[in-house]
Amino acid sequence: MYLESLTLRDYRNYEDLNVSFSPAINILLGENAQGKTNLLEAIYVLSMTRSHRTNNDKELIKWDKTAAIIQGRVNKQLGTVPLEIQVNSKGKKAKVNHLEQAKLSQYIGQFNVILFAPEDLALVKGAPAVRRRFVDMEFGQINARYLYNLGQYRTILKQRNQYLKQLQHKKNQDLVFLDVLSDQLAAFGAEIVHQRLIFLKQLEFWANQLQEEITQSAETLTFEYATHLEDAADQTIEQLYAQLQNDLKKATKKEIFQGTTLAGPHRDDVRFLINGKNVQTYGSQGQQRTTALSVKLAEIELMKEETGEYPVLLLDDVLSELDDMRQTHLLKTIQNKVQTFLTTPNLSGIARTLINEPKIFHINQGNLLEEEEHTVD
Amino acid sequence: MQYPEPIAKLIESYMKLPGIGGKTATRLAFFTIDMDEDDVTDFAKSLISAKRDLHYCSICGNITEEDPCQICSDPSRDQTKVIVVEEPKDVMSLEKMKEYHGLYHVLHGVLSPIEGKGPEDINITSLLTRLQTHPDMQEVIIATNATPEGEATSMYLSRLIKPAGIKVTRLAHGLAVGSDIEYADEMTLFKAIEGRTEI
Repeated sequence: MYLESLTLRDYRNYEDLNVSFSPAINILLGENAQGKTNLLEAIYVLSMTRSHRTNNDKELIKWDKTAAIIQGRVNKQLGTVPLEIQVNSKGKKAKVNHLEQAKLSQYIGQFNVILFAPEDLALVKGAPAVRRRFVDMEFGQINARYLYNLGQYRTILKQRNQYLKQLQHKKNQDLVFLDVLSDQLAAFGAEIVHQRLIFLKQLEFWANQLQEEITQSAETLTFEYATHLEDAADQTIEQLYAQLQNDLKKATKKEIFQGTTLAGPHRDDVRFLINGKNVQTYGSQGQQRTTALSVKLAEIELMKEETGEYPVLLLDDVLSELDDMRQTHLLKTIQNKVQTFLTTPNLSGIARTLINEPKIFHINQGNLLEEEEHTVD
Repeated sequence: MQYPEPIAKLIESYMKLPGIGGKTATRLAFFTIDMDEDDVTDFAKSLISAKRDLHYCSICGNITEEDPCQICSDPSRDQTKVIVVEEPKDVMSLEKMKEYHGLYHVLHGVLSPIEGKGPEDINITSLLTRLQTHPDMQEVIIATNATPEGEATSMYLSRLIKPAGIKVTRLAHGLAVGSDIEYADEMTLFKAIEGRTEI
């Protein structure tokens, strides 16, 4: 799928913008603070209905205006779909083919994007919570059932933690109810672990292929799902459920004492291993960067496998952070199949010869100017 | 300038209602002043009567004028079945169906520790005593909402009741009658397929 055109009205620093894109590579060129990332963000919002930079939707509206509108035409295998997001002080509306969608969850999935920003390097270096959020966001985008399980799991977890805290002060403890909450938690928890393992296996396949290409087969990338459940990968959902139930039962005393749930997928982690060694602890800066890149690019293939179409790739200021070798592999992966938007302050750090016929836009204070002729310098 | 005391008091009373803030309360208070005196008297009377003349049925917990309620005191109703619901308004919805002739039990909430509702805070004890004192009871139908909390409550009840040899059932999940499959969301469809029946 690709974005044919985009219209912005009163969005951040764009007052009225109407632009058509290339189905291949689009380069957004401009000085700092001209609106390069704002444009990428608008495309992201059109896909996910919310920004990756802020939780406050009102920030998306142009200063001193009351409503922002993002419209886009998305070309898919089955035809073109007009999408629209409206943000005003009361909330937001999402329209598919001019029809308003009652739930945002019905809208998400119409148009898939993958964003790669400098922060994404934290995927390898950062805390386990960063990796869990990555896994949950990506898998949630391609599988509605995973998203549902996750929502239910979070609600039950909150209830159970609260009940554990209440049990600390109670004389006659009703452990039957705690048991019920444990069973509910274990049921959704087991499904989540099972689904994560399946998705991670698929993602690993693609990520490793990329890693081997980039490093010329010197490095093998594998994923390890770190969980307290034993042999999780070889177990059925029923077995995982029984294990989790058992772990929760064993921890009951400690859980009441600490007032929090001590077992379950909300405490799991994903480890990235290069040639069997954990990249987070033993990898060099370069290896960590390559790994983050491989994992992100692997998502492109995974999404194609699950949804039948390639997503749109948004690269925020990352190309210049990669050396020539990595740039070449990135471009080789996306060339001729994935529509890409990349922002950069200048073209000097970019291996431009590798890019076939890019469409270049100069951004200046919320205005876009398309470059007519592009010569390779 | 301050509002005269009667208005200020009225505004404050309106603000105690759910979903009504300062502005709406002020609007309602000034509207009340312009209303006919008869209407206002009727309004005040119905407020007081709703509070004074309505009680909770000592058997099922439903709202009623006389205790026990009409349903509990009706001998023609099927005494072997009881439907457990969250709120009195759920009883009204089920009664509109006119197809169920058994009894009801109102919990007044669901188990939700976040809202401070544990097993002892909702009407569960009286349900258990009721089942003990009525040996002819054969089936408890749990009709709590299809939320995680409603689900937890139903599981909790079944654990307490089943050991006594009483059948515990749960309402089906799935497609709404008269609805298009096209418009159903993925999870509803998933539940509908899970709960499919042979024809």
